[in-house]
Amino acid sequence: MDHKIGVYIDTGYGIGEALDIDALSSVATSEFKAIVCRAEPYWSAPEKLAIIRNDIATENLTAVVIAGPSPRVFQQEFTFENVITERVNLREHVVWCQPANDEDTQMLAEDYMRMGITKAGKYEDRPAYTDPNEKALLVIGGGITGITAALGAAGAGYQVYLVEKEQKLGGWLNKFSKVFTGKPPYDQLVDPPVQEKIKAVETSDKIKVFLGSRVFGISGAPGMFEVVIRPDGPWIEELDSVQNQWLAEKKAKENKGTEEPEPAQTSQEEAAKLPPMPETLDFDHEKVMVGAIVLAAGWRPEVPSELEKFGYGSHPDIITNVQMEELASKGKLVRPSDGKEVNTVAFVEMVDDQIAHPWLYNSAVGSLVALKQAHYLRKTNPNGKAFIFYENMRAPGQYEKFYRSLQDDPGVFMSKGSPVSITNGSSGLTVEMKDTLLGEDLKVKADLVVLSTGMVPVTKDSAVLNLKYRQGPFLPENLYGFNDSHFICFPYETQRTGIYTAGCVRGPMDILSCETDAMGAALKAIQCAELVSQGKAVHPRAGDESFPQIFVQRCTQCKRCTEECPFGAYDEKPDGTPLPNPSRCRRCAICMGSCPERIISFRDHSVDMIGSMVKAIEVPDEYAEKPRVVVFICENDALPAIDMAGIHRLNYSPYVRFIPLRCLGNINMVWIADALSKGIDGIMLIGCKYGDDYQCHFVKGSELAEYRMGKISETLQRLVLESERIRVHQLAIDEYAMIPKLVDDFIEKLSEFDPNPYKGF
Amino acid sequence: MARDIVTEPDLQFTKDLIAAGGGDLKKCYQCATCSVACKVAPDNNPFPRKEMIWAQWGQKDKLLNDPDIWLCHQCNDCSTQCPRGANPGDALKAVRKMVIQNNAWPGFFGKLVGESSMFVLALGIPAVIVLLILMISGFSFPEGAVKYSAHHLHPKEGFIYLPLIQIIFTAALVFSIVSLVMSLKSYWNDLETNNPILVGTARKGFVPSLLEAFSEILPHTTFKECEANNIRYTAHLLTFWGMIGLAVTTAIVAFNVDMLGLLPPSQNGPGTIPIKILGNISAIAFAVGLGIMLFRRLNVPDQAGGSSYFDWFFLLIICATGLTGILTELSRFAGWAAGAYVIYAFHLWFVLTLLLYIPFSKFAHLGYRTIAITWAKSAGRNVMTATKPKCVSAPPAEAAQS
Repeated sequence: MDHKIGVYIDTGYGIGEALDIDALSSVATSEFKAIVCRAEPYWSAPEKLAIIRNDIATENLTAVVIAGPSPRVFQQEFTFENVITERVNLREHVVWCQPANDEDTQMLAEDYMRMGITKAGKYEDRPAYTDPNEKALLVIGGGITGITAALGAAGAGYQVYLVEKEQKLGGWLNKFSKVFTGKPPYDQLVDPPVQEKIKAVETSDKIKVFLGSRVFGISGAPGMFEVVIRPDGPWIEELDSVQNQWLAEKKAKENKGTEEPEPAQTSQEEAAKLPPMPETLDFDHEKVMVGAIVLAAGWRPEVPSELEKFGYGSHPDIITNVQMEELASKGKLVRPSDGKEVNTVAFVEMVDDQIAHPWLYNSAVGSLVALKQAHYLRKTNPNGKAFIFYENMRAPGQYEKFYRSLQDDPGVFMSKGSPVSITNGSSGLTVEMKDTLLGEDLKVKADLVVLSTGMVPVTKDSAVLNLKYRQGPFLPENLYGFNDSHFICFPYETQRTGIYTAGCVRGPMDILSCETDAMGAALKAIQCAELVSQGKAVHPRAGDESFPQIFVQRCTQCKRCTEECPFGAYDEKPDGTPLPNPSRCRRCAICMGSCPERIISFRDHSVDMIGSMVKAIEVPDEYAEKPRVVVFICENDALPAIDMAGIHRLNYSPYVRFIPLRCLGNINMVWIADALSKGIDGIMLIGCKYGDDYQCHFVKGSELAEYRMGKISETLQRLVLESERIRVHQLAIDEYAMIPKLVDDFIEKLSEFDPNPYKGF
Repeated sequence: MARDIVTEPDLQFTKDLIAAGGGDLKKCYQCATCSVACKVAPDNNPFPRKEMIWAQWGQKDKLLNDPDIWLCHQCNDCSTQCPRGANPGDALKAVRKMVIQNNAWPGFFGKLVGESSMFVLALGIPAVIVLLILMISGFSFPEGAVKYSAHHLHPKEGFIYLPLIQIIFTAALVFSIVSLVMSLKSYWNDLETNNPILVGTARKGFVPSLLEAFSEILPHTTFKECEANNIRYTAHLLTFWGMIGLAVTTAIVAFNVDMLGLLPPSQNGPGTIPIKILGNISAIAFAVGLGIMLFRRLNVPDQAGGSSYFDWFFLLIICATGLTGILTELSRFAGWAAGAYVIYAFHLWFVLTLLLYIPFSKFAHLGYRTIAITWAKSAGRNVMTATKPKCVSAPPAEAAQS
């Protein structure tokens, strides 16, 4: 569509003094025929905003371009109803980092002006996607987390379906002897506070409980999830084994090489192995529609086989801390072997080099459980001795007070230490420890030895959600086998939009943390259901109304988009073309970068739009000796970093032109080719750090960008250009001080080559 | 260095230490701030960190045979800097009490002096003896100038029948010395056999080590290192030398009176001026030193450390001895005969208590600390000296760059 554009140049902040404003205005008026172009200081002031509003009304403007401070500030002020706002950063990216009244500075400002107006002109008018409007919630798991989440959501007025596999609610708390109070003075224990909550769930008219049931399958998308709930039975083992095998094969394939999967054939085969949602459900079931899901499936204790070498399983008095809870709930502590009263207990934190992810076995929860169980002994037996051997004593927050109260108890003996052996002699069990705080190896006799166990999310054994998604039934997991539910700093968010994890399924937690976590996840789920009903994206681009549109006629069924979407938003139509589920989409536009046919676009972000911006850059001829470098930057971390470089008045080469992207994963090869064939001398990509501790807002965007750039050599060869003309960097948001060096080094490197021979073509 | 010994934590021992003034020892979390703060701890295997976890773990054998607890002069640098308020200084003090009590010979006296429930009996025994002396001497004040004692009962020339004092006090002294020697011998044996601090085999002889220990103790060189409570060094030095001066004075007077048959200084016997000067200066030093320590114990407990029954018992005896001694002299100068005699009787009571309980009260530290320092010297476990830097400072920047 043709836009009627108004351009507003801010002459405040030193912009007016540093630039030739008239020349800048003429770019807007003569090159781009902007209907209005005004230059005044501080457009964010209310009386100035009134001028813009007046122009919009009288001139029927459809887009305004504000050339002034960074787009990261005054977003609220520069939002005009039904009018597109585009921002040109003359402040941080031009006058604050370049010398005033310099020819190159002026050229830089004019290029940014051209790019901004070009971009504004490319906006399309598409309505938001508001089909999904179901707002009920599904909560999976009837333990303390699930119950709390259900009560929280019901309290906020939302219908909740609560699915629990056991025949009663309560989960682990039915088996625990005592729990922490969470109240001052923090040195006492109480009975698990679960019964009142169960009662509240049972009496709530907003919560429907499915006991002895599991989720058979989930299809659809946020705001329109279709959930099939089926009574527990042998079917779940069959389903788990098929799905687990599928996952194992998938992982094996991924580990083989870092090659981009040749999607077409192989993945279709993979997909075929998974049973689809049956057309007709010929078994006892119930179908519910929900808007969002809280997964609170919990954990199970992991007893690694390594424990056997410490006598676990061969001696009845060597037990796990879970068994200890059951023992303690019977009252006075007695030995399982002979029923005699227990006088000494050794709590041993089992950390072994051979156990993968040892921290799972000595989490804060493990430390607290040992402290709690030592308290059981000391409460019931005044002469009892409790030895606590730990790798790390972790008692976060107010739990420190409980730790201190036990530390002060003369009958509790604590030391760091690693187990060497646990032997059974004529005089009872002997625990041998090394690396203790006593500075020497230690042997203690104990009536009972309690070993710490790992806390493993149940999602390690089963998909639980059983998603009928193109990317499989599982939630992607992190390094430690938990759901990747905290990517960057977004708690509860999983890589499946609308599904929020809470409690021990996403990390070892104590009961109080589980309750807090449950409320957080419930709130997130409610936000999701509400936002998608308005056609808006959820975190991290919350409120974004754009969504991907596919020009399907030109689709080649390559399936890259369905494979590369970090959030599994795409399913597949029977003909092999992608089926977008807009409410699953997080609007990262990684699919836009993945599509070789360039047929995926957003209303305010498209291949054409960015390509046109590149083409809008004026490239001086080779005799001017003014090279040009396009830098594609991630708008989440790199853009703020560059803003900060400006705020700190760091100077760098005036030959660079920054183009912010939603994610570096948007990068499309055609932009590179366009830029190079236009005579741009070099291209730099600055994205987030990736790897195990990735900082990418969209999990793997920067990684994909780097991967795609590895394949650029073909294009360069075709153009007969040096491969050093393209560089990819990872930058953290706080590394702004590195920017001048990054830029200048690259310009320096480019000076070794001849100018791009395509200049002037 | 692993010892193949099953650890049996002695819960009662930990409780005893807590009761004996180490009330906060369980709070220690082994950060080792104390060992770094301590100016006198050796570089190798320093105290009081290791003693803290031994105390927490009821490691009675280790603590009772540990010479390091006596290398500590309780300046409380450690306690003032402890981030958890575990008061290592007080914990070590409690251990020292347990050592004295544990090695006491005869064992009953250890309990008699160490336990508050025995307080009346502990003071009662010397009181009865002094009352007995008074009874035999006859409850009456002699006429004329003040004369504390005399060789004759009839006519009564002095307040007290001197041979009784000579016999009983000498016996008490002998008992004390024998007890102390026996106690220290037992302790030395422990140090030799069960010492938890492992040292090399090269050992110095006992006598040279003892002499070296004396050369450190007499000028209080190590004590001077303590920082937080440095005034205690001055106070203790004054008390220490005051005590020695008083002991010398007493010895000379006793020799003059008993052996040479001269008149005592109180009756202006021959050549008494230097004796009087020595005695009075010593008494003043003793009183000032004690006064400082008492004042600080009451007013700055943060630095002086907590005070247990064991401390107070010792302080009571020693202060009462000094006070009654000085009051005796002052009342004599004032010409108040009756007062002088009554106070003198009390003075005798406290002196006898002091004498009897040297090996069992806190006073025993003069023996135990000497023995422990001697052991440390003989084992080459030297206490830090001022010239030796505690930390090796970083090399100068230029050197690091090159």
